[in-house]
Amino acid sequence: MENIAMAFAEVATVQTLVLMAIGAIAGLLSGAIPGFTIAMAVVLTLPFTFSMSASQGIATMIGVFVGGLSGGLMSGILIGIPGTPSSVATTFDGFPLARSGQPGLALGLGVWSSFFGGLISAVLLIAVAPQLARIGLEFQPWDYFALVFFALTITASLAGENITKGLMAGAFGLLIATVGEEDINGVSRFDFGSDYLQEGFAFLPVLIGLFAFSQLMTDIRDRVAARQALTQTGNFNIRIEHLKAARMVLARWSNLVRSSLIGVFTGVLPAAGSTISNILAYDQAKKASKDPERFGKGHADGIVAPEAANNATAGGSLITMMALGIPGDIITAVMLGALLIHDVVPSPSFISEAPVLAYSIFIAFFFANFLVLGLQSVALRLFVLVTRVRMYMLAAVILAYCGIGVFALNNIVNDMWTLFFFGLVGYALRNLGFPLAPVILGVVLGPIAEKWLARALAISTDPMEFITHPWSLFFIVLSLFSMAFGLYQRDRGQQVWTFFYTPLLAMCLSVPLFMMQGYIRPGLGLLLVGVGLFGLYRADKARRARAAEKA
Amino acid sequence: MVSLNREVVIAALSLAACGILGWSSLSIRDPGYGTLAPAAWPQMVLVVLAVLSAIHLFRSAMGGAHDAETEPAGAPRSIGDFLAHYRNPLLCYAIYFVFLLTLPFLGALIGGILLVFLLLNILGGWSPRALLQHALIAVISMGAMWSLFTFGLRVILPEGVVFSVL
Repeated sequence: MENIAMAFAEVATVQTLVLMAIGAIAGLLSGAIPGFTIAMAVVLTLPFTFSMSASQGIATMIGVFVGGLSGGLMSGILIGIPGTPSSVATTFDGFPLARSGQPGLALGLGVWSSFFGGLISAVLLIAVAPQLARIGLEFQPWDYFALVFFALTITASLAGENITKGLMAGAFGLLIATVGEEDINGVSRFDFGSDYLQEGFAFLPVLIGLFAFSQLMTDIRDRVAARQALTQTGNFNIRIEHLKAARMVLARWSNLVRSSLIGVFTGVLPAAGSTISNILAYDQAKKASKDPERFGKGHADGIVAPEAANNATAGGSLITMMALGIPGDIITAVMLGALLIHDVVPSPSFISEAPVLAYSIFIAFFFANFLVLGLQSVALRLFVLVTRVRMYMLAAVILAYCGIGVFALNNIVNDMWTLFFFGLVGYALRNLGFPLAPVILGVVLGPIAEKWLARALAISTDPMEFITHPWSLFFIVLSLFSMAFGLYQRDRGQQVWTFFYTPLLAMCLSVPLFMMQGYIRPGLGLLLVGVGLFGLYRADKARRARAAEKA
Repeated sequence: MVSLNREVVIAALSLAACGILGWSSLSIRDPGYGTLAPAAWPQMVLVVLAVLSAIHLFRSAMGGAHDAETEPAGAPRSIGDFLAHYRNPLLCYAIYFVFLLTLPFLGALIGGILLVFLLLNILGGWSPRALLQHALIAVISMGAMWSLFTFGLRVILPEGVVFSVL
């Protein structure tokens, strides 16, 4: 409690709250503008946080993060174009409801769902992160390496239909991180005699180049579209119907809680972010609804589910970052970078070693939801103004800002060259159909994976250690199944093997749980065996039914 | 049927890059401290990347027609098309390259103003009204940014020879 009180005192200062409010407005706007992403906003905020304390800097970036997640709903509801991929599903019902003459109610539903989703995930963040960190303290080098491996495979498996390209992108990211002097022995790799390459690539210029620079190039590629204002209909005179919307959202509490939990769970999974959670929650809300036929025509549940889920994902991804030091998505990867700049290294011992800073982050996340709720109306007016600006004007200024911001990271001009080079690489990869998220996570996770592998091999060179350590085996099983996840999604219900995917996963996961000490985890293992057996029975039944159908 | 398409070229280039880097990794010094050798991790990654590239090459070559369909509609088919299609990004990259090259002479403020001004004109047009508008945007945005970093965040941005003479 003492730590929480100290953290509260640190965050609840006028200066920090003002910084968070500015961050929240910036996030709301960047989330609202189609073509700009939350990750880009968080990345571009980073240079401004250098002169701040660690807690202030992270609090500001959390303001941007939460604001961005909520901002996407504005353009999605008002103009039918989602501001960010995390609010794609909001558009399905938000836009029809707004067009039916109730834009204030549609916005209100989105705003309040985001708020409650954020609050639920904030509570879970505060409750779960320390517990997860306690589990993380059990991890040995083999377990950490397997966890990082799992994070990489799941990133690639979420790359869509082309899993090979996703995995290639992840491996490419790992390769980028090997250039220059390595941390363990200080030996230079792949420098080809160049001092520039010997230094290696700083993570943030790589990230900004790959992500922000290449995104801007994508935005201005079309000569006609680049010269147009962001939206053609920039005249909205709307009042958000707060009271009615809040009541309606609370009346749909089961949808709200379910969607928030989906959001948190998706966020906890390494690499799965709000882009996925909003669609998952929408899908579940539709399935659970008494009137699913009204979805897509302005159903309130169709706005509540994705908005609660996407905001709740933020808390989930912060849980993984805070408890295990593994970034859940690109945004938390940037936050991890920001913490490293402030000499803070998130790990399982982070919460116990730096409790005030850890709880400051929790409390900042909590406050950010209130700030965003209060600032939505202001942001809506600013959004209308920004929509009148032509895309190329914003792009040109932001491009220049990227360069200056990157220079400010380490006061090195070489970082600007890195930005330029990876801007080119990122643009090429985008156009060649490679997902960028695995590349970025590869760059972040590569050195972490190598460090833990080196530590593991320093203790024992026996590769069986990866199998005999329960947590390591647990993540290896998850990795293997996650590599097949893309195929599973593609063939689900079409191929017989997909019937056995989930039961087999449950059965295989029970093995490491049985290897763990105590009663609870082996008990969970037993439960998984039961679930697996029941699933196998159902899968076999489905297989027989299909065979009979064919016959 | 085996066919040559964009994906085959990507996979082949990736394999070639793996070969070059793999060869280069053989000359990474090993201090022999008994831990993981410095070349081991990149070599592992290269093996994985090479295997994935080979799989991609095989799949793309065998399912050529299907993979060709994954190329975006309206993708450029000749160098002329390519230059026209990617005119804006190519020019932006070129200007940015020149900005970085001239940074030691022009500095962040003058170079930045020129960068934004040129980018705005290339992307938005060269009409007299646009020129004035773009000049104003360039001076105000870069001036504000430079002031913020220099005086607000105390970051010493590259001054440049020209600026120091002025």
